[in-house]
Amino acid sequence: MSIQTLLMELVLMPLVAFVVGLFMVLMLRRIGAKLQRRVGPPVMQPLYDIVKLYGKKTQISHGWMHDIGIVMAVGGYVAAETLLPVPGMDGIADKGGLVTLVYVMMIPSLGLALGVGQCANPNGSIGIARALTAMLAYDVPFVIVVFGVAWYFGTTNLVDIIAIQQAGGVAGWGATAMPLLAIAGLFALQGMLGKQPFEIYIAPAEIATGPMVEMSGKYLGGLFVMQCFQLYTAGVLYVSLFLGGGENWLFFLLKVFAVVAIPMTVAFLFPRYKTEQMIRLMWKWPVMIGLLGLAFVMH
Amino acid sequence: MTPLDELLLFSGLTLVFLLLLGRFSYAGKVATVFYGGQLLFLAKMADRIVDGSIVTFSLQVELFGQQMSWRFDALSWFFAVITLGAGLLSSWYASGEWGERFRRRGGNLWLLNVALAANVFSMLILLGSGDLLALFIGWELVSWASFLLMTVAGGRAIQAAMRYITYAMSGAMAILAGIVLLWSHAGGLQYGQIIEVIPQLSQAQVWLLVALFGSGFAVKMGLLPFHLWQAAAYAETPGPGAAFFGAISARMGLYAIILVLVQLIGLARLSELMIPFTFLDMRDLWAWIAVLTIILPTYIALRQSDARYLLAWHGIGQGGYMLLGLVMGDALGSAGGLLHVFNYATNQAVLFFAVFAVMFRTGTADLNKLGGLITRMPISFFAMLVGIIGLAGLPPMNGFVSKWFVYRSLMIEGEPLLFLGAIIGTLGTILSVYKLIHNTFLGQLRVEHVEVREAPWSMVAPMIILMLLIFATGVAPGLVLDWVALVQSAVGLPVVENTLGGVELASGSLDMLWVVGVLFAGFGIGALLFYSGGRTRQVHQLDNYAGGHFLTAEIRYHYSDNFYAGLMHLIRPWYRGSFVWLESTLGSLLGIAASLIQRLYGALHPSIYLLVTVVVTLTWVLL
Repeated sequence: MSIQTLLMELVLMPLVAFVVGLFMVLMLRRIGAKLQRRVGPPVMQPLYDIVKLYGKKTQISHGWMHDIGIVMAVGGYVAAETLLPVPGMDGIADKGGLVTLVYVMMIPSLGLALGVGQCANPNGSIGIARALTAMLAYDVPFVIVVFGVAWYFGTTNLVDIIAIQQAGGVAGWGATAMPLLAIAGLFALQGMLGKQPFEIYIAPAEIATGPMVEMSGKYLGGLFVMQCFQLYTAGVLYVSLFLGGGENWLFFLLKVFAVVAIPMTVAFLFPRYKTEQMIRLMWKWPVMIGLLGLAFVMH
Repeated sequence: MTPLDELLLFSGLTLVFLLLLGRFSYAGKVATVFYGGQLLFLAKMADRIVDGSIVTFSLQVELFGQQMSWRFDALSWFFAVITLGAGLLSSWYASGEWGERFRRRGGNLWLLNVALAANVFSMLILLGSGDLLALFIGWELVSWASFLLMTVAGGRAIQAAMRYITYAMSGAMAILAGIVLLWSHAGGLQYGQIIEVIPQLSQAQVWLLVALFGSGFAVKMGLLPFHLWQAAAYAETPGPGAAFFGAISARMGLYAIILVLVQLIGLARLSELMIPFTFLDMRDLWAWIAVLTIILPTYIALRQSDARYLLAWHGIGQGGYMLLGLVMGDALGSAGGLLHVFNYATNQAVLFFAVFAVMFRTGTADLNKLGGLITRMPISFFAMLVGIIGLAGLPPMNGFVSKWFVYRSLMIEGEPLLFLGAIIGTLGTILSVYKLIHNTFLGQLRVEHVEVREAPWSMVAPMIILMLLIFATGVAPGLVLDWVALVQSAVGLPVVENTLGGVELASGSLDMLWVVGVLFAGFGIGALLFYSGGRTRQVHQLDNYAGGHFLTAEIRYHYSDNFYAGLMHLIRPWYRGSFVWLESTLGSLLGIAASLIQRLYGALHPSIYLLVTVVVTLTWVLL
């Protein structure tokens, strides 16, 4: 691959991720509206929201770490997208691999945590403490899934993992070969997205939206962009591990939207779990299912 | 003179200089230069080490008919680089305002400097040992030098040091027993003789050897269940001493484990030793000890409210990653374990430096009495940030690379439970280090800290050097991996074939040059987006609202205590203190036995002993 193509991919991959992410946010709101018998927002609403937030007149900064935190939150995901292959573009996926991707995905959370920390708002700090605890909860089943997939395909290179699945058709998909791990992965995905019922760290009525409490204007705008990337990344990662990645863009997007739609739909049907309930739940069912799936995969 | 003669001579000279002239005010600075000189002598050895040859020491001593010799191979050299680097930076940190303040407050700076030099000198002797007798003598020297440095602060530190020396002496007895056992079979203590005799020993004998040597060395390394002494002993040591201990001291245990278990006995032999009544072999046992050492101390660290104790507990936990990588025994895992010795040393040193810089300015390391110092001590904040990213093992810092190697090794070898344990440890570390930086530097600034300034340059400079080192070896891990590969070939492990940016594997490569490059490009885009937005207005640090209430600076609302309340709600009952209970039970049993024997001596008449002895002897003679 020539350096020009690579550079072009490195620019295009985050850009595509952002646009797709915007539509995912739209879908999330539309699903919510349908379930609550509302009309829902127009197509361009997520973009309008971002433009509005970035252009706000009141932009309160609590110091340089507050600013850098938002830069890290967006920038970390921009980098993560280049490690995630999409149809026709591999970026630098072969130079990082699955484990690196999982860890690069923690950078935005770290940036957010540091930024919120400097705001000196106890509600924000409580929110971060809960968000990190939630990470401890859902990452345990998630790494079981990652291990199982890497073991089954014999590689952590996402390009190869996708190629192996596509070579076998639907029968070669990760979800067909490892159904239990796929279920455990879906569980972890729900926690990872931080939507209901696992949004105790936001809890608007209790800690006034937690990490977002001191975020005004473009700070909140940055978090909005981060959410677009987050939805996209989680969806694409799941599709790459279990649903054969993308043969072409049409099927790819169909699969990714379908995967993200599941947690979104579930989100509006359940009440919120407390932190310790979430840990107990995550460490019990998906871990058990995941370990069982792992036992099947490894023997 | 060989380069090793020069190095040991110069190191000894540093110690003598400090002993004699250490009370002068410039002594600390001169000593720092001396440590730099020692590093230069070590660098002089580098080309011989790269060739794979061994640098010998000219002096040989004969003791009890045993020839004692010293030499440096790649393994010794690698550990010596870290030892001297830690010594240099710690001495630098102590040489300026920190040392001045320490002395003014009644601390014995002379003793601190002497103890530090003694530690470095004794560690070099240990690392250079060319046979088991020299190893044992080096081991004892290191133990007593550590004890000396631990006692400098007095008070609680003495208690911790006494606990350490009790553990260390028990460990040394185990090692001595192992050496005697080997001597009785091999008739000598040269490494060559031992490598020859090991295959002839029965499984039971090797089992005993591994248990004796292993538990002895595990004490120094702080492996479970011998970990209880370490946190307090390291945390109570004054600033530079704690940083030095944290960085390298416990790794002498790892050095000895590599030497005896990997080089002399061999990992393959360990796999043949079964653990009775289980389906585990000795190597699995070591791997599980490593994983438990990762998990338990890390989650104990999570509960600490003193920054120094928090770091010291993490130090114990991080040792588990090194051992885990090493016992995997493949090129990737052992490279990760060895690389982590270096990476962890840089992370832990910078973290201790930052914590003691905060302590220098505020007088406390209590995580419930700090907060908001980021605006007052920005460089120290940044040092801690780099350190925690490294310690937690996130890109782009060096700690990520070594842990990646260990994870990948576990994935390739098919060890899902060990892998899960290692990750649970990493997640716990992330939680705990965020609490550390949040409670210290983020959140509300206390009124009494409004006037606090950045630490003086003599303390900041070592931090900056370490930050650069952590970042540089994170972007280009190949710089250190080259040394690691030399160590692997010296001790007979499979050698990793690394690139500058990491490693290329058919089953998934790592190239940190690209990963970090893209990460920073991403940050660039994030910054572009951010700064293209509306103009920001910065509010004063003490100008805060929470839940609609205006809070004055006098009201304390920093969220620091019981930081992970939700998690603790669930896992608090799991902290049972079983090891503390075990230790105190052992202690009480020993106490009871001692008082019984004392009673026997004191209460009974000597003639009864005579009678008993005569009866027993007669019975024996008659029968």
